[in-house]
Amino acid sequence: MAVSSLTRALGALLLSPAPSLPQIAQHPRLVCLGGNLLPACHGFSTSSNLSTNNPMWKCRIKYTTRPVGMKKTGGRDHTGRIAVHGIGGGHKQRYRMIDFQRLRYGPGSESGSYDEKVIQIRYDPCRSADIALVAGGKQKRWIIATENMQPGDILKTSRHIGRMAVSASEGDAYPLGALPVGTLINNLESHPGKGAQYIRAAGTCGVLLRKVNGTAIVQLPSKRHMQVLETCMATVGRVSNIDHNKRIIGKAGRNRWLGRRPHSGLWHRKGGWAGRKIKPLPPMKSYVSLPTAAARA
Amino acid sequence: MAGLWWPARPAAGALRAWAPRGPHRGKTAQVPRRPLPRTPWTTRGPPPGAPLPRSWQDKRPVQEQIPGLEQVTYAGKQYFVPWLARPRLPRWERGWHDPRHSPGPRYEAMPLYKERVCYVCHQRTKMLEGVRQALWLTKTKLMEGLPPKVLSIIDEPANQLENEDERVQNAISHARVWITTELIPKRESYCPVLLEDLLHLCRTMASKYPSLSKRMLARDYKVAAAWERESSILQVRGMNGILLNAINPLLPVASKDEILATENHVLETFHPISPTIDLQEVNVYEERHDTGFREGYPYPHPHTLYFVESANVRPVRFRPEQLRAKMLMFAFGNALAKAKILYGDDPKVLEHPVVVQSIGTEGRIFQFMVFQLNTTDLASSDGVKNLVWIDSDQYMYDYIRYLPGIRKKVVKFPPGIYGYRPDTFKKFLALYLHGAVQDSTQTQIL
Repeated sequence: MAVSSLTRALGALLLSPAPSLPQIAQHPRLVCLGGNLLPACHGFSTSSNLSTNNPMWKCRIKYTTRPVGMKKTGGRDHTGRIAVHGIGGGHKQRYRMIDFQRLRYGPGSESGSYDEKVIQIRYDPCRSADIALVAGGKQKRWIIATENMQPGDILKTSRHIGRMAVSASEGDAYPLGALPVGTLINNLESHPGKGAQYIRAAGTCGVLLRKVNGTAIVQLPSKRHMQVLETCMATVGRVSNIDHNKRIIGKAGRNRWLGRRPHSGLWHRKGGWAGRKIKPLPPMKSYVSLPTAAARA
Repeated sequence: MAGLWWPARPAAGALRAWAPRGPHRGKTAQVPRRPLPRTPWTTRGPPPGAPLPRSWQDKRPVQEQIPGLEQVTYAGKQYFVPWLARPRLPRWERGWHDPRHSPGPRYEAMPLYKERVCYVCHQRTKMLEGVRQALWLTKTKLMEGLPPKVLSIIDEPANQLENEDERVQNAISHARVWITTELIPKRESYCPVLLEDLLHLCRTMASKYPSLSKRMLARDYKVAAAWERESSILQVRGMNGILLNAINPLLPVASKDEILATENHVLETFHPISPTIDLQEVNVYEERHDTGFREGYPYPHPHTLYFVESANVRPVRFRPEQLRAKMLMFAFGNALAKAKILYGDDPKVLEHPVVVQSIGTEGRIFQFMVFQLNTTDLASSDGVKNLVWIDSDQYMYDYIRYLPGIRKKVVKFPPGIYGYRPDTFKKFLALYLHGAVQDSTQTQIL
């Protein structure tokens, strides 16, 4: 069966204007079934579901701040075979839907800059960083928390790029063109409007190195350089939970609680992959698509 | 199996909407044979506006693009054969409208559909900013503590029961200890029982004040009130709590000067959060006013609303701040519905303000509230405002000890109520007697 995308009914239900995924007719009931029949009104003495058997738990259309029950994969993919070894077991987790697209306007609201207030910062079992519940206007959403975020802070999100660089405070989100060179950033997009996919782990931060006519060059935590359009949004500051890499697991059981199964005990002769390598940096990765020769001509 | 802390599996044979039905019912354990559908939460697609990469463009297969080259399917044979392709069959239409199997009209097709959105507050609405948000929505000024009129009822020695402390402690023990043979009763059993016992104690004062018998309790009634607040339509709907109705209305608690002094008060806003956050947005609605009782009901005036917060699980239970906000919204809703029925729909300042009291509890902590509706002109934020007196977080007792604390084979801490405070029940009784008691400062209609 072809991959049926659920775009037909998405239009009115998404937070942001629907992306340009192709319109394919699909079973409208599948839309409603993403995630335990989308209970709108819980019974009076129930909490959110802890886990679910529903294999489509992550195909929810409507955004919610309530945690969603997850179904563990055990490293298996849709064929049933192990695709990734060493995953399985571990404490039950509930997925909190994180909004990585920081610049998200509500339906019909004005464009420009807007403020949001941090309500609560909590631990997220699905990632190393902490997450923050922020509220702005009429909506609440979860975002990745930065290092010194406290409940009650006001965060600013803007997409305006002025001639002068903005003196950004931690937690604010601006396009790269508006930030001064040398700021520490996190939650970086590769394309404008795509949503943050880089620099999201605990304690990481990238550095804005330079801005070159319409593009910006960022150094990622792996020291690789990345060139993106200057309208891509990024959040200022380091990601929260900075002592994450200093923690000591202590025992094998704690790894099992985290869902990591032991390595295979079979002796392998190490090949060319093992050992420390000292290489020059890979070339700069550019996500800026230059106009083709045909368009230029 | 009764003692599981996680929800038990549904009964064998329960139909789950996402699982296969019919002869393949038992096959849920298999992983889905197809990759998951692509939704915004499962894909990291290209940004909006950009073309998809070639490998992701949903190309129709070559067989569909070139006519005459389609795959041979078993659709013509009308039965499955394993060597022919699976056909894309058209959706089966019933041919006639079956009300039990039709999806129902869309929101836009419903007769009450309106373009303008309405924000509804119902009994499960937990407001983010709590009382501050409710104050802005109802155009109210907050006063700490109970009004002096009610406090003077507490001070009168004649307004106390005989053996009041003992009887209240018996009521608490009944609700928390004696109600069940298990060791520790759940909140959803002890909380309503405690409220019933306290109300029963209050009702025993009817022998002293005969006008207390001119009251009636009502449960499971639905209130409806609608108003406009700075270009948003707001509504309060649904079942709220237990309402004590009376034949005679409560007289205004604040003097005329205090009411006029509220004109200078500025309502607190909380930028960047909108005041209508957490309210349910609806496009299909009807603006109506309904106290929940028909004309000719012998006890027409609302007196006190009792809210019982007895959810067992902590995430579902209302926190004190959210409970106070809910009490304020529903007291306002009841008062507004009554005022509109008495004085008409036009927004105006009321000459005879409507007073509604409200008590909320979660078994141990009580919230007391007296709300006075001074004006129905709520569209602008200037002018006369309503008044509310809130006494929050009154503990009736600190904790209950179920098992005796034994140290070295001697009972050091006997089981029972610890930290009992008599003031809380005095306030409870005062709010009950308010409106029926002869006050020394003012004569009242009995």
